[in-house]
Amino acid sequence: MQKTLLKTEKLCKTFSNGGQQQHVLKNIDLELYQGDFTVIMGASGAGKSTLLYALSGMDTPSLGKITFGDKTISDLSQDGLAVFRRDHCGFVFQQIYLIDGMSVMDNVLSAGLLVNKDKKALVARAKELFAAVDISEETQKKFPTQISGGEAQRVGIVRAIINSPEILFADEPTGALNSKTGLDVLDTLTKFNEQGQSVVMVTHDMRSARRGNRILYLKDGVILGECNLGKYAHGDTARHEKLSAFLKEMGW
Amino acid sequence: MRKLFLIARSNMRRAKGQTVAIVVLILIAAMLLNLWLMLSMDYKANFDRYHDELNAEHVTVTVDDEDGAVCEFLSQTLENDDRVSEYRHDGCLHMTTSFSYNGGEMNHWCVFLKKETALTRTVGRAEIVEEGSFSSGVYLPMIFKSDEIALGKPIEMSIGSHTVEYTVCGFFNSVMMGSHNCGLTEIMLSGDKYAELETLGYAPQATLCSVRLYDKSENLNFEATIKSAISERFPNLNMVSNSYDIVSQARYISQMICSGVMSAMAFFVLLIALVVIASNIINYIQVNMKNLGALKAVGYTSRQLIFTLLLQFLGLALFAALVGTALSYALFPAINSMMIAQTGIPYLIRFLPLPVIISLLILGGAVAFVVWLASRKIKKIEPILALRSGVQTHNFKRNRIPLEKTKAPLNFALALKTTLSGVKHNITVCITMLVLSLVVVFSGLMTENVIVDMTPFLNLIVGETADSCISVNAETEEDFLTEMNVDSRVEKAYLYTTINVTHPGGAELLTTVCDDFTKVNNPNVIYIGRFPKYENEIAIGAKYAKEKGLTVGNEIQITANGKTEKYLISGLTQVTNYLGRDGLLTRSGYERLGTITNVSYYINLEEGTDIDAFNADVKEKFADAVNTTINVEMTVEAASGVYVTLMTIIVVAILVLSAIIIAFVLYLLVRTMLNNKKRDYGILKSLGFTTRQLVLQTALSFMPAIIISTVVGLIICSLIINPLTALFLGSLGIVKCTFNIPIVFITVAGVGLILLSFAIACLLSLKIKKIAPRNLLDGE
Repeated sequence: MQKTLLKTEKLCKTFSNGGQQQHVLKNIDLELYQGDFTVIMGASGAGKSTLLYALSGMDTPSLGKITFGDKTISDLSQDGLAVFRRDHCGFVFQQIYLIDGMSVMDNVLSAGLLVNKDKKALVARAKELFAAVDISEETQKKFPTQISGGEAQRVGIVRAIINSPEILFADEPTGALNSKTGLDVLDTLTKFNEQGQSVVMVTHDMRSARRGNRILYLKDGVILGECNLGKYAHGDTARHEKLSAFLKEMGW
Repeated sequence: MRKLFLIARSNMRRAKGQTVAIVVLILIAAMLLNLWLMLSMDYKANFDRYHDELNAEHVTVTVDDEDGAVCEFLSQTLENDDRVSEYRHDGCLHMTTSFSYNGGEMNHWCVFLKKETALTRTVGRAEIVEEGSFSSGVYLPMIFKSDEIALGKPIEMSIGSHTVEYTVCGFFNSVMMGSHNCGLTEIMLSGDKYAELETLGYAPQATLCSVRLYDKSENLNFEATIKSAISERFPNLNMVSNSYDIVSQARYISQMICSGVMSAMAFFVLLIALVVIASNIINYIQVNMKNLGALKAVGYTSRQLIFTLLLQFLGLALFAALVGTALSYALFPAINSMMIAQTGIPYLIRFLPLPVIISLLILGGAVAFVVWLASRKIKKIEPILALRSGVQTHNFKRNRIPLEKTKAPLNFALALKTTLSGVKHNITVCITMLVLSLVVVFSGLMTENVIVDMTPFLNLIVGETADSCISVNAETEEDFLTEMNVDSRVEKAYLYTTINVTHPGGAELLTTVCDDFTKVNNPNVIYIGRFPKYENEIAIGAKYAKEKGLTVGNEIQITANGKTEKYLISGLTQVTNYLGRDGLLTRSGYERLGTITNVSYYINLEEGTDIDAFNADVKEKFADAVNTTINVEMTVEAASGVYVTLMTIIVVAILVLSAIIIAFVLYLLVRTMLNNKKRDYGILKSLGFTTRQLVLQTALSFMPAIIISTVVGLIICSLIINPLTALFLGSLGIVKCTFNIPIVFITVAGVGLILLSFAIACLLSLKIKKIAPRNLLDGE
């Protein structure tokens, strides 16, 4: 029996645009489990990213409830949500969003020092993570504008997991990268997931989606279907076929 | 042109807050500039207008004249002097007179004239400004109009050693004798009251002679000549005079101080506005590099883009300047009534085009120059480079505060990173805080030395003060001194009497004769050298010495009572009594020229002694031998009350203005920072930084520049404020200021300034609350 990390009940998100109401998420009931690599797929405008922002506390739902353990996060204030993100979540952005004015190491430590006051231990963990994602000591001293997109995204991942968050959210993490560097980033995420890190990733890329063990398909603001692929294994062709069939069934 | 106008309009619309803040700063500068120009250009001219209108004199002399001999002598002398264009002499009564005024005591040499005479004089006419229905009583100069001295109210006057009571019938304007700041004060009496005073004999008969000259710049020389001629012919007569230069400056000291402070503040605010505009333009170029590149790519020239900025900022500046000058007219009545209360000369407010034009030219010119200077960088923008990546707003080659190594707490370290990456912001903050430091130090100096305790200000302006001043006949002097020596209430008594002497070829010097200068309370009167010690020594005003190329060790000739003697200059003084035309002589030194007929003693009383009771006792004891008794403290309080009021208003106004300036400058900087760092704030929020932490970081990022520039500014300003004030008061004869530097006030105000800046920065940074991490995900 897997432990539930996040749970939503009748989650709705409505945007108002020029007086017109747009219901992006409609009564979503969902549970996210510890250790899973959950992938949220769907066509453009299906509400994938909106769901991710709501789950990660980046945005507040219009209606419904989101609970993390026994804590209801949908009722939290903006600062309460910031603390929730700080203590429990990591986030990897499509556009990476490193702070240009800080070195690679400082980008990571600025997130780490928010939670961990033991700087020595924190620096050691950062170095360990950098080594794991193949970021050299020299690169750690550089500024974001001086490194490649792939390196930057791997730095983004290190920053996201420096505080060992319960859930790592990733919004199209390979969207802005070329094929090779995108693959490196997926390998990194997979590796961390194998080490026990729970991951929730939004993507519309099948190659990326294959890394997940649980695939959710979102259409018009509702979860249309779910597919369990099991743990990722390199060269698992049956997995690919199963995912293709599922997506075909969903109308992908 | 229309397209350029549209770009300028679009720029303004996108930065509404910044536009408003710049408009407010320019508006304040324009308001102060126009007020300063109105005060300095027209206010003093107003004196000359009234001087012409009332055909006022350039030199006034009043001399005791029981039998009309002086009058006859004056007529002969003036007829034969080709410098005189016209003159008028009238019979009057004159005597030192005192009455309660402004919470103290007005004590001055007064000329009593019959109302009809005063209003019909062909030279030196007075005009009634306000009159009640009372026909019998006294008319006073406008300057004395107050709550206590009002139409219909009784006024008790001590004329010499006698007391009389009159009803105030009205107020008048007399250009040359309408103030207590000059040598003579005119008082008009209704016909019956004049006749009554004449009969009582409280004030001796005198001749009042008013002389107009062809060349008014000759007034001081003429005054010296005529007084010398009179004292030569009538050595023992009481004589008091006024001259155009002294009166025109003395009546406008307050206006000079006020307009000086206003001009300084106007230029400070303008400087800050210009720094803010320059910083805004540089930031605009960096942030809009791509847009500017795109505009260049479609054919706009650098000149056109610079012109757009010029159009934008010059348009704003001229608009703000027009509103500011209009506002100055709204504020002017309040300043005018304050000034009238201090000059005693009516001023009719009217539109003055020249100050407005000059204000617009100064502001427009300065803004245009700064815009051109700051926007030249546009020329260097190559469209292709700008379109590819824009130009980096910061150079990140060095990581000055690596989080890995720094011991500073996280929020402080991140704030410091922001500080170090914002050089332009720091420069703007530093210039603002340096200017405001000067304002704080000046306010402190005025608070401590004028508002709270006037002694240092009085020491500088008045020179010597004591508790009591008693003037006795020369023949009673010995008895008087014996009495003072045995009176337990007396701490010390010393001769301190003023007599006019002449420096041949120069001017008349208001000379103080003292029997022992070691007894004086204010040794700072001597600026260089020492007090005169021997009979052949004299100290003269530093300003006068500079004008005449004299210094310590030089020998000068001094004339009085028809005798001329040589003196060695032992020291230079700085007292504003006679606009720097002062002198100090020992008793034996003066006695080489003549005898002192009316001796005045300055008396310091033991702590807690009632000065008025002491004076009354002395008066009773010596009866008619005592000419006058003056409660110096009360007299000084009355005369200086106007300065205290003026300074209080100035200090409060400039401190409020400083707070407004800090708020606007910080508003501009914080807004710019929030715009530039919106993405970073979004990222930090997504990482879990709370609004409070980011507000703290933002406010803290300004603090190093604020703290350093405030501390450095306060220290430097504390060191230079005395020389600066001396420079400011130079025209009054001040060469060196020795005001107490209010360390506690400056420290408290400095801390207050820093805390206020921090609080304002925190408040303004609260806008961070509106930056949601979600904005990042929506593509910012």
